[in-house]
Amino acid sequence: MNKNWCVARRLGFNMTLKMRYLDLKTKIRAVRMLAIEGIAEAGSGHPGASFSAAEIMGALYFRKLVHNQKDPFWKGRDYFINSKGHSAPGFYATLAVSGYFPAEEIKSLRGFGSRLQGHPVRYSEEQSKWSVPGIEYSGGSEGIGLSVSVGLALANRLDGNANHIFTLIGDGESNEGQVWEAAMSASKFGLDNMTAILDRNRIQQDGFTEDIMPLDPVRDKWVAFNWNVIEIDGHRVEQVIDAVNKSLAVKDKPTIIIANTIKGYGIKHMTNNPQWHGKAPGRKQTPILLEELDCEFLIAPSIIAGGKENYEEKIRMAERGGADMIHLDVMDGRFVPNHTFLADTIHRLRKITSMPFDTHLMIENPAAVVDEYISARCDIITVHAEACSQSEFAEINRKLISNGISPGIAINPDTALPDWIWDYLNSIDVVNILSVNPGFPGQKFIPKVLPKMISAVEELRGNGYKGYIEADGGIDSITLPQVYEAGARILVTGNAVYGTPDIQGAILQLKHTANVVLEKKLLDLSTSIGIRNDWLKTRKHILIPFANELDIEEEIHALK
Amino acid sequence: MLLSREQTRLDMRSAYGDSLVEAGLKYPEIVCVGADTTDSLKTKNFGNKFPERFFNLGIAEANLVSVAAGLAMAGKIAFASTYAAFLPGRCLDQIRNAICFPNLDVKLVVSHAGLTVGPDGASHQQIEDLATMRAIPNMKVMVPSDAISAKKIVHTSVHIRGPVYVRLARPPSEVLYDDTTPTEFGLGKGNLLREGADATLVGCGLMVSTSLKAAEILREKYALNCRVIDMFNVKPIDDELLEKAARDTGLLVSVEEHNIFGGLGGAVAESASAHYPVPVERIGVSDVFGESARDEELELLLDVYGLSPAKVAKRVAKAAEKRK
Repeated sequence: MNKNWCVARRLGFNMTLKMRYLDLKTKIRAVRMLAIEGIAEAGSGHPGASFSAAEIMGALYFRKLVHNQKDPFWKGRDYFINSKGHSAPGFYATLAVSGYFPAEEIKSLRGFGSRLQGHPVRYSEEQSKWSVPGIEYSGGSEGIGLSVSVGLALANRLDGNANHIFTLIGDGESNEGQVWEAAMSASKFGLDNMTAILDRNRIQQDGFTEDIMPLDPVRDKWVAFNWNVIEIDGHRVEQVIDAVNKSLAVKDKPTIIIANTIKGYGIKHMTNNPQWHGKAPGRKQTPILLEELDCEFLIAPSIIAGGKENYEEKIRMAERGGADMIHLDVMDGRFVPNHTFLADTIHRLRKITSMPFDTHLMIENPAAVVDEYISARCDIITVHAEACSQSEFAEINRKLISNGISPGIAINPDTALPDWIWDYLNSIDVVNILSVNPGFPGQKFIPKVLPKMISAVEELRGNGYKGYIEADGGIDSITLPQVYEAGARILVTGNAVYGTPDIQGAILQLKHTANVVLEKKLLDLSTSIGIRNDWLKTRKHILIPFANELDIEEEIHALK
Repeated sequence: MLLSREQTRLDMRSAYGDSLVEAGLKYPEIVCVGADTTDSLKTKNFGNKFPERFFNLGIAEANLVSVAAGLAMAGKIAFASTYAAFLPGRCLDQIRNAICFPNLDVKLVVSHAGLTVGPDGASHQQIEDLATMRAIPNMKVMVPSDAISAKKIVHTSVHIRGPVYVRLARPPSEVLYDDTTPTEFGLGKGNLLREGADATLVGCGLMVSTSLKAAEILREKYALNCRVIDMFNVKPIDDELLEKAARDTGLLVSVEEHNIFGGLGGAVAESASAHYPVPVERIGVSDVFGESARDEELELLLDVYGLSPAKVAKRVAKAAEKRK
């Protein structure tokens, strides 16, 4: 498939967006978990930089790079030059999840005799004892990688290759004058076959970048150096992919994607904290950190709540409020008594946002029309088990996967998981366990769904299902903790968001509600493994706003 | 092998420029990067012949050598050239990490090394490069002694896998070899230019012809019969040739346009101490910075810094006396 992509690129085709959003999120979560295991085991390493760049590296390695794990030096490959070599743990974890080497090897990180050296070493036969296939560039000395990429881009252009050179650079690294020497030369030569990605996490070793050596106005700087500049939220994979696609289409200019990121993103107490630039967590805390990563949740407001109008406005409000995706309830008036909107509306809405569309098809015979929803560029398409046979689902599933769309199965409150679901565990990204009978917004959560959800999750996980569980119907501040605790990680919210005057506040409140559950869960875990006090100390500044709800005010106060 | 004493002078940089074009015709993978000194380094010839394989990166040496590394990563043989004061002077870390560590096919051919830069003065008189380049794993260090050897060494470097540092001098220099010389200038070799039993002068670069002249003076004035070696390969050094010289003559004298620390003198002393310890006299710039001198004053400059044939001869005679 990789080679076909390359042919397509060479012929100038616009590449299809092969995102498969939820699968990508799952893989990136696995990367973070692997990186934290390695760092904790090694007792040193840079969690902050590993985590700020996780979505950038994940979007590249799992989706956009044209590469071949079985033939790492294949001539037509894209290059990834990791100029900020201290992101090594995250980089190694990305390579492992991508299939370049066995994931267990992460435990050897930074050790004597390890192939995973403190900073990545370019792989070659003579360096094979200290490197793994897939590493193109020996990082560690900052500021050099972009120049190396200029050389690669010149050579590949000279050879008439249609490949692309991606370079990850840091904002601390941008203190180095050589970065700007490279910037001048790339624009001098009009290198449109290279894209730099700036991991703009605003923290370097000694503190915040704007205190140590201000980089802003960073956008203006790159514009002034004659680069095409795209600015994104670097933790939103859909934005990373969109920006990369745009950069591939640019002619006669190099592109830089300024990815605004958060150092330590994924582990709350490490977030945006210079202390965690290069510090390893205690090994005993590993299980708690893994649990936190595993509990990442997505809020998906359903725009049919609060009336069938102003969808555009509702989407914009959700985006501003920090929602993760948009839930689209498609009802045909036959599978359910109500009628909402169909593919044409989604087509229209797609133009106003890059937020992932979580499309829930409550329609008869979805197999007949799924193509329309594929071309409307949904990111997730969930069909009802009640609305299709196994063979129809198999066909839908195949189409969705080949178009880079996350497939989902939904079941009504009175329906059990279909018998045939077990054949598709590796190719389903979400199972939606409805907690109302679909058809109308604003219904009450049906309590008996909760035990069903708990046992379904157990059964699915027990059989190796790694995808998401989605809770949909009557999710509010009371029921959200219950379904989250039960294992749901996509939380569809309707009236709890759009039924309130302050949409942004409502989203924040729901997130807080989920976080109370999370903090309690992590604290309980710390107690059970005998490190409660240690955890309270580590997590103190995060726990303070939750102290009342967790009833730990006195304990927190007693900490020095 | 040697031409007669009445010397023609030829420019090493022109020899480099010509041989790079020759090599470029033969090997399409050769590319060249320059740093606003391509006219001076004569790499412009290559650029005129192969415009698409030639990249002028301006006055930015760190970028220069790193871009060369990237070109080599993509399968090219990259020649990077500017003045020795700045390459390796301004980009040691890039040479170490981006080129030597991954052992890439980058050839650093630099000019204006040593005191004979002349009028530009101390800022441009690179006298530390042999020490720094020698100290990096994977790097090979070669110092041609005339235009002919420069040409041959450029061709040799194409066939050596990995990084090579080639150090040229600015002024047109006496021609020591002729075009038909069968010497290969291969890796790990030195050339025995003159036989002798009383001491061995081991020179590199322009100091090879100085050593030959000093040997003449030593014979005439001091009745010493000195061996002379052109140690064009400072790393890896020709241990076998040095060991034999140590055995046969009992005194090794290094002569170089470089600080007496860490350059050819260091290499000769290291080799002798490991294989056949004999006294080693290190003649070079005595841990001081240089100064300006016009072209017509270069001989004076070298004399003041102890690098004229007469001064070299005197030092050798003294060392030989001490040994007795």
